[in-house]
Amino acid sequence: MEADILIIDDDRELGGMLREFLAPDHFRLSACTSGEEGLEALDNDRYELVILDIMLPGMSGIDVLKAIRRTSDIPVIMLTARGDDLDRILGLEFGADDYLSKPFNPRELLARIKAILRRASPGGERSHLIQAGDIELDTRSRQVKANGEPLRLTGTEFEMLHCLMKAPGDVVSRETLSRDALGRGLLPYDRSIDTHISNVRRKLDDAGVDNPTIQNQRGVGYRLLTDD
Amino acid sequence: MRRLLVRIFLSFWLMIMITIAAAAGLGFIYAERARSAIERFEVSDAMLEASEALRVEGRDGLKQWLKSVDKVPRSLIYVIDVRGRDLLGRRLPAPVGIALRRFGDDRRRNPGRDRGNIRPARPFTQLVGPDGSVYTIFVLPPQSGIAQWIADRSLSSLGVLALLASIAVSLFLARAIARPVARLRDSAAAFAQGNLDTRVPANVSKRRDEIGLLGREFDQMAAELQRAMERQTELTANVSHELRSPLARLRVALELARREAGDLAEFDKIDSETERLDSLVGQILEFSRLDSRSGEERSQVNVSDLLHEVVDDVRFEFGDDVNVSLTTPDEEISARIYESALRGCVLNVLRNAAVHGNNGATVRLKLERGDGSAIITVHDDGGGVAEDELGNLFEPFYRSATSGVEGTGLGLAIAARAAKKNGGSIAASNADGGLLVTIQLPL
Repeated sequence: MEADILIIDDDRELGGMLREFLAPDHFRLSACTSGEEGLEALDNDRYELVILDIMLPGMSGIDVLKAIRRTSDIPVIMLTARGDDLDRILGLEFGADDYLSKPFNPRELLARIKAILRRASPGGERSHLIQAGDIELDTRSRQVKANGEPLRLTGTEFEMLHCLMKAPGDVVSRETLSRDALGRGLLPYDRSIDTHISNVRRKLDDAGVDNPTIQNQRGVGYRLLTDD
Repeated sequence: MRRLLVRIFLSFWLMIMITIAAAAGLGFIYAERARSAIERFEVSDAMLEASEALRVEGRDGLKQWLKSVDKVPRSLIYVIDVRGRDLLGRRLPAPVGIALRRFGDDRRRNPGRDRGNIRPARPFTQLVGPDGSVYTIFVLPPQSGIAQWIADRSLSSLGVLALLASIAVSLFLARAIARPVARLRDSAAAFAQGNLDTRVPANVSKRRDEIGLLGREFDQMAAELQRAMERQTELTANVSHELRSPLARLRVALELARREAGDLAEFDKIDSETERLDSLVGQILEFSRLDSRSGEERSQVNVSDLLHEVVDDVRFEFGDDVNVSLTTPDEEISARIYESALRGCVLNVLRNAAVHGNNGATVRLKLERGDGSAIITVHDDGGGVAEDELGNLFEPFYRSATSGVEGTGLGLAIAARAAKKNGGSIAASNADGGLLVTIQLPL
């Protein structure tokens, strides 16, 4: 697996060290130290993944994320501060695919990058259409249609919906969702699954879909319910 | 606070009562003196003296005589000339004016042309001077109307009247002073509770007296303190954030070193210490965040649901090491609160119970509805702490002498501050061989 990755973090030295750390796995890391610079780099070059620090001088990380999501569904891993749940929740709500609290273990970062890229690379599966109520999901093109209209989901949101649609009516545990959709084990005190699911719900709602619905089973997980 | 009101009231009242008593006493003495002077004053003798003076020295003589009369009787005698004026130029009291209008018609006619010799009977004396001018003499009864009215009342009803009036006036004055002071006190109390936004109500601080001045000084002090506290919080948050960068570089450098030099036991030690440092920084940040005004907004939170989520998290973290039970009432308990503050509060208390409990600890979490509040209790079986340490448990970095457990020392301090942020309170006690922490959350 090889990929071009962009890191937006004002710590230039950290970027350099991470480039060195990721190089043996054939990940080419470019570093930008401000949000404006990062958005420009995304316009000019092709990247497979963005690592975004939420604490940036000038344009905030959240604003950069919003700007990215206006035009692109590129996977975004954001770096948040520990003890700062609010930034993390905001980041996930605005469409980040996953998060790491900084300072992070670089091996963990590597694992997340791999999980997201593996998931995002098409071709592994053959084209397969899944239907549930008014939505239709194509596993190869990674497209979702709601009432026949294309529905924009981030990679993680797509995987969440996919997991639920594979077993309609069954409760899918949070562990399974974490493993299959985020590509990692569940962490304690991590509510990112709930945030991703609520994003999917909101987008289905905005598209006027009331069948199927996603139901929360407290303490267990989520399930997809169809009318028919 | 009522004491100030009572004291001011009593002193005003006492003052008014003394004033009334003094005025009554003086009035009585004056009236007594006037009465005796009037009693000594013989009207018929006076009339003879007046007529003599008028006869010998004319108008000036009459005037001199009037001036020579004792002060008190003089104030009751009016000598009116044909033009309807008092000889001494005094303003005529109402009874004199009325009497003049009723009986004194002749004074308007020119007396020189009046050839009639019949004068109708009058209730007052008239003197005729050597030049033929007529002077009418009024002698007033020695009491005015109001004085007469008062004299007609019984002494006890007058006393009751004075009592009621003085109480009403004193109460009004006392409250006018005590009430803004009470407002000031409420503001100070709210500020002391940690509500740094508190300012004195406008109707106090806009006053132009000393109390208003005090209110404005209080506001200034409050603003200054609030700024200082906010700067402090900001500094802590900034320091914590700044520590993230070197720590992040340290961890990447460590992994690079591992690649170069292979796995060394020392690297694992450095790694675990870095992680500890990281979680400490995280907790300091969380602790300082609870004080800052920015960030989370209040939202309607179902407390039972939130507790279920927190319990799931703790079960997930500790696995089989801890047995957590949760009891919630059937009715839904929800409140408008800072959700993440409550989550952090309960979570830190639960984690503390989990690490301090016995191996395979049993922790009982319970939610009840109290009087206008939700009561959340966390009960562990870890043997509790010494009684004299109970009060210190919620201090930052306080470590119980009996606890050998490693932690950041901030967990319970975060819990306490988080409880306070939601307007609630937290307390610890020993019960049934374990620590019982009670969180009270206003609904």
